[in-house]
Amino acid sequence: MRKVAIVGQKQINAADVGKSRERMLFELCRDFYKEMGITRHDIDTFVLCSNDFYSGHTISNVFEDCPVGAYMKDETKVEADGVMAATYAFIRILSGLYDTAVVVASSQGGSVMRPYLQMDYSLNPTYDRQVDLLNEVNAAALQARAYMDEFGVSEEVLDKIAARNLRNAARNPYAFNGKTDVTPADVANSDVLYEPIKAMHCYPFTDGACVLLLAAEDRAKELTDAPVWIKGVGDLLETYYPERDVSRSKSVKSSAERAYKMAGISDPASELDLVEVSAKFSYQEPIICEALGLFPEGSAGDVADRGLADMDSAMPVSPSGGALGAYAFCAGGLVRIAECYRQLTGGAGDTQVADAHTALAHGQDGLFLQHNAVMVVSTEEG
Amino acid sequence: MADKLERVVVEAQVPLDYTYNYRVGPYIERYIKGLGDKKILATKCPQCSKVAVPPRKECGVCNKIMDEWVEVGPEGVVDNYTVGHVKIEKGLVENLESPALLAMITLDGATVPLLAEVKGMAPTDLKKGLRVKAVFTDPAEDSLADLSHFEQVG
Repeated sequence: MRKVAIVGQKQINAADVGKSRERMLFELCRDFYKEMGITRHDIDTFVLCSNDFYSGHTISNVFEDCPVGAYMKDETKVEADGVMAATYAFIRILSGLYDTAVVVASSQGGSVMRPYLQMDYSLNPTYDRQVDLLNEVNAAALQARAYMDEFGVSEEVLDKIAARNLRNAARNPYAFNGKTDVTPADVANSDVLYEPIKAMHCYPFTDGACVLLLAAEDRAKELTDAPVWIKGVGDLLETYYPERDVSRSKSVKSSAERAYKMAGISDPASELDLVEVSAKFSYQEPIICEALGLFPEGSAGDVADRGLADMDSAMPVSPSGGALGAYAFCAGGLVRIAECYRQLTGGAGDTQVADAHTALAHGQDGLFLQHNAVMVVSTEEG
Repeated sequence: MADKLERVVVEAQVPLDYTYNYRVGPYIERYIKGLGDKKILATKCPQCSKVAVPPRKECGVCNKIMDEWVEVGPEGVVDNYTVGHVKIEKGLVENLESPALLAMITLDGATVPLLAEVKGMAPTDLKKGLRVKAVFTDPAEDSLADLSHFEQVG
């Protein structure tokens, strides 16, 4: 199998970026290519990641081709999360047809579209959309309660998880929703939406975009002295919500097992130096991390009390602040990979984890954590 | 060049005026017909004996055709619930004057929970394990709304 590395990243996240999606993408990619010392002609294939519903017109990538420099070039689109798009770019390079790939993911849920409305469209049209009871937040509430009931976890634990992520985000210049010194009590006092979900448990509506450059071994070494190698991937979708146990995530577990097998990882808790997960609501973090095999099932209370997921712990979870710091649909998962890249190249500034060599990024799509994907990345070429 | 123009935001209605005339299919059609007779119909998997409501044709686990019809409910047990202090209308969060109760209810005879509203009780009394009973719309409208909501038994 070919070796493929991530050789650069750039991202932007804001509550309102103040420019059109096309302008946002143009400025991001123009500056990125300049920083990387490349032109659009150095890129063999473009994988764009956006969604017709989110952009409000058909073929959402059609107006992205010019801003990102993909016109008259090999270009394709993934209409899901950025981790899935990066996985597709990785596979395209593995095919041997391409040596370099750019992945660009974007959406404007802060200023243009309404994220909760968009999520309604992921529901079954002939039943759930007709009875009109479910939305992204009450679905989150039901799943949070399922986890709490199954494992005897209290609401305070969800507050602690949110507070840690918001404090981490305050140290990350790419996150805009960070809150320095926020306490679990502050989170507990935020508005109750659907019990047990409170306003500060939720991802912020975000305008954002992220770009990654991937390259096959020889090109990667020409482009950078510090490539971050893609070691394993996994991507699985599971059955619709009423027919499965939503207190745990089989699809995270199985996709992680596939990625670990590819990466030669047998003990993820000791072999991974950090993870960046797309927990759009604080309760999702333990479900994801437990399915990744980092902590025992149902241990969220213990992890929160002992700070086992803190930035300076043995298993830092989302030192960037994760999805609570910023979460633009599509870009959300790609940002998680970009954050792993920043960590592994020593460029994570105030969120830097010491001696980070191997990391995992997680992305998701759908209600009740229905679709999950992971990518293991490492500084070790192996 | 003139001074920079003030940003103008237009409201694009998405989807525009789109109406999708989906056929709900014979399974949901039969389910709706049942609701009109105040019966909740479900289908059973020949392999794993799962009883799904609303009825579905294929068992997602066994990949078998679920062609045995059974009547379930009208009583059931609350499996999971949430008390809503807001509603979300076309993606916008609005405060509610009084909380709305939403529950996942496993109807007697069913194995897959049904999502439904619960009415006529204090939010603090809504608990896992509570027995509830279906309330039907009368007269029937021949729609999914014929199963109106659930109430506490007794």
